[in-house]
Amino acid sequence: MNSTYDGSVFLLIAFVLYNLGFLLFVLTITGKKWNHGNPERHERKWGRAAFTVSAAGFLCHLIFFFNRWYTGGHIPTSNMYEFMTFLGMMTIFAFIVVYLLYRTPVIGVFALPVAVIIIAYASVFPGEVQPLIPALQSYWLKIHVTTAATGEAFFAVGFAGGLMYLLRSVNYAGETAADRKEQRWLEFTLFFIIIIIGFVGSIFGFNAAGYRAEFHKQVTVQQDGKPAEITEKSVYVLPPLIKSYGSEQIEMKPFLGMTEPILGQTPGWMKGAQAGRKLNTVIWSVLSGIVLYALLRLIARKPLGAAISPLLKGMDGEDLDEIGYRAIAIGYPIFTLGALIFAMIWAHEAWGRFWGWDPKEVWALITWLFYAVYLHLRLSKGWQGKRSAWMSVIGFLVVMFTLIGVNLVIAGLHSYAGV
Amino acid sequence: MDSVWRFFSSVKVAVYLIGITLLGATLGTVYPQENTFMNIDPAVYYEATYGTLGKIYYMLGLSHTYESWWFRTLLFMIGTSLVICSLDRVLPLYRALNKQQIRKHTQFLSRQKIAYSGDLPFEGLQGSGFTEEDGARWTEGMAKQLRKMGYRVHTDGTALLAEKNRFSRWGPYINHIGLIIFLLAALARGIPGWHMDQYVSVLEGQTVKIPNTSYYIKNQKFTIDFYTENEMSEKFRKTEKEVPKLYETKAVLYKCTAVCDNASQDPQLEEVARHNILVNQPLDYKGLMAYQYDYKLSPVLISVTPTLKNKETGQAYGSFTLNMGKPEDQYTAGEYSLKLKGYFPEFGLDGKGTPVTKSNEAKAPAFIFNISGPGLAEGGEPYIYFPRQVDKVNFRQDDLNGKLAQTLDISVDSMDKVKFAEYTTFLNIRVDRAIPFIWTGAAISMAGLIMGFYWQHRRIWLRVDGRRLTLGAHTNKNWFAIRKEVSSALEKTGIRVNAKILERGRQQ
Repeated sequence: MNSTYDGSVFLLIAFVLYNLGFLLFVLTITGKKWNHGNPERHERKWGRAAFTVSAAGFLCHLIFFFNRWYTGGHIPTSNMYEFMTFLGMMTIFAFIVVYLLYRTPVIGVFALPVAVIIIAYASVFPGEVQPLIPALQSYWLKIHVTTAATGEAFFAVGFAGGLMYLLRSVNYAGETAADRKEQRWLEFTLFFIIIIIGFVGSIFGFNAAGYRAEFHKQVTVQQDGKPAEITEKSVYVLPPLIKSYGSEQIEMKPFLGMTEPILGQTPGWMKGAQAGRKLNTVIWSVLSGIVLYALLRLIARKPLGAAISPLLKGMDGEDLDEIGYRAIAIGYPIFTLGALIFAMIWAHEAWGRFWGWDPKEVWALITWLFYAVYLHLRLSKGWQGKRSAWMSVIGFLVVMFTLIGVNLVIAGLHSYAGV
Repeated sequence: MDSVWRFFSSVKVAVYLIGITLLGATLGTVYPQENTFMNIDPAVYYEATYGTLGKIYYMLGLSHTYESWWFRTLLFMIGTSLVICSLDRVLPLYRALNKQQIRKHTQFLSRQKIAYSGDLPFEGLQGSGFTEEDGARWTEGMAKQLRKMGYRVHTDGTALLAEKNRFSRWGPYINHIGLIIFLLAALARGIPGWHMDQYVSVLEGQTVKIPNTSYYIKNQKFTIDFYTENEMSEKFRKTEKEVPKLYETKAVLYKCTAVCDNASQDPQLEEVARHNILVNQPLDYKGLMAYQYDYKLSPVLISVTPTLKNKETGQAYGSFTLNMGKPEDQYTAGEYSLKLKGYFPEFGLDGKGTPVTKSNEAKAPAFIFNISGPGLAEGGEPYIYFPRQVDKVNFRQDDLNGKLAQTLDISVDSMDKVKFAEYTTFLNIRVDRAIPFIWTGAAISMAGLIMGFYWQHRRIWLRVDGRRLTLGAHTNKNWFAIRKEVSSALEKTGIRVNAKILERGRQQ
């Protein structure tokens, strides 16, 4: 327990290798033209190298995981940091499975960044090993969380497949209203992903720079049935542009000459003491996302979708469609088992009821119902191609909301997994 | 009736139902539901906590979304749809799969998503052109290849049907049956006696009746433990957080065997189970479950064992044990006898100065004795005793006892003579007779999902007419794999085709 060595260097190596693997996969696709005359050989050779590097990253990630398990004394899936790194690892695993089934390097171009973003997102959360509270002291922590995450990882690969399909199939030369609409929505999806990168990037940067600001707010809570006044602290990692309604500034390092929140305070209906910090994070993410997006647009000199699209022109549309669908078809039973059935068994054991309409449970059910709709439309109503691809993109948004949004926005019984 | 049946038999309707349920379910997660609170008045709570939006939320009935009539109706409709959709499709499917034609029409074959047609690249063996026997021989060869790949092959001369993993077609229906059992089991919890959910609070040392049952539960000891510093990682220690490690109730479950509902007499109890209840380890006795739910710090006296002494000489006459929950009528200490005249668990004085008890909890207990024995008046003398030192001072015990206080004293010598209860444990008592059916439904559903998603029903048909081979293949998913199988089987019988071009519409 007292080991000071928590092995996070292996996570760092894995992270670097995933990025490298991604670059190699990109070169596998883009470099086909270099090797005049034998693009297939190029693809085979570079694809193999890219896959090997990614698999090596996965191995390092496994070492990180088991090392942390050993030194921490319990399976590292008990808080947001641990869960997200695990989800990233399983996304790589799902990628490996799907890659071995289809041997198409282009999956790597899309699945690896998803995993990389998930792992980068994990680093936003406090990373120290926390002792297990009584509610988590059960072998179901190992079984429920790992299977649920594995199912979700396959949905992540399904999302990557859907995005690939859309980028390949949306007609960027098209001028019709329908083409325009698709182009805009796809661009918006990419922008949204860039906002997440902006969010991770800004937290990472300011954290490294040691930025800090603190605000206090008096809030009324119910204690033993009586209202009581308490002071709630809110610590900002990102320079505050906005503070919670009615909160008081305790400490704020000047940032670019700014010594107090320039946007003032949140509107009155945003009551929570942390509302200012959360809204501030959103504002920062959008701002840094816009800057990042503008930079990329400047480099590409066209919509990002239009820039990526040619990469995929050589791909067979139906293959991409099937890859995305197959990932979801593999993930669905695993998700059902982990996120619903095992969850119910554990809930029955710990809380005395297998189902209690807790927000996390409800959102797991919503995710399940959403993919049920996806499968019925696809299998019975012949929704394939674009419509199916859009659904797999939206489906993963639902997954992410279930995993993160519920904890940040709604809380409930699973709130210990939050920040 | 017919139109109702048709309505529920439609997959489109089923998809809409799932979609509406999905959207409806999100509404219930906007604010915490009523059932997450133990005792609130929802009519006041939502407006007070969330303002106008909260009030609207409550008025729309969204504070109990999942118990609302419309949500229940949606679930019921999904259940109906599951039954009718499955019934409507499973029999035709059974018939279609059980009586399969081997020789299909060429148009049927070439219409399949995977299709091939071409002349067999061989000469006849007899040298007199290609005969039907040559065709049949090639078909046999193909059958052998397909069998090697795990297909079940039926041939009819120059026609062939190869099939594998037919059972996976039943996957969706088995999944639906599981879901129906699950929903029925959830519904069955409404049967009287199938479902019970209540909370009991038990002080350490206390035994309480579990309402509406013949069971009693005792809290022998409640333990709360925190992680020590050296159980934490170095980084975590710096956050200076206290993390609970254990909540445990040492519980004993009794069944009442006689005198159960008589307030004036103690029930006769028989121990039936004993368990250390932890958060993840409930007590389970024949389906009666007791879960660790919460605890409260509630220090109260359980018993004291004081000694009766001569205050002047210090001579001890004897000691006796006073039980705060149920003191006895009479005690003896040596030659003295103490008759209990009055007991006030939480002693106080009302407006007129008369002693009263404020509650039944031993928070400030007081005992009024009538002591008789050597040196005391005939018929005894009154003596009031406060076991807690603080009460003894506050209520001025010595003044109340007057002269007797100078000769006699009741007091405890050491803290081991005092028994405290520190904690009250809150246990959630549950019975859920539907649980086995819930798990059965879930298991069946899971089996159906695995069958349906991890195997695919693949079928290959072919016929040879003259020299012309026509082949068609179908699967419900994973076209990639069946394409590869068809092309590799063809290749082994001498026909080279790229797997990709087998697919219809790609042959440009």
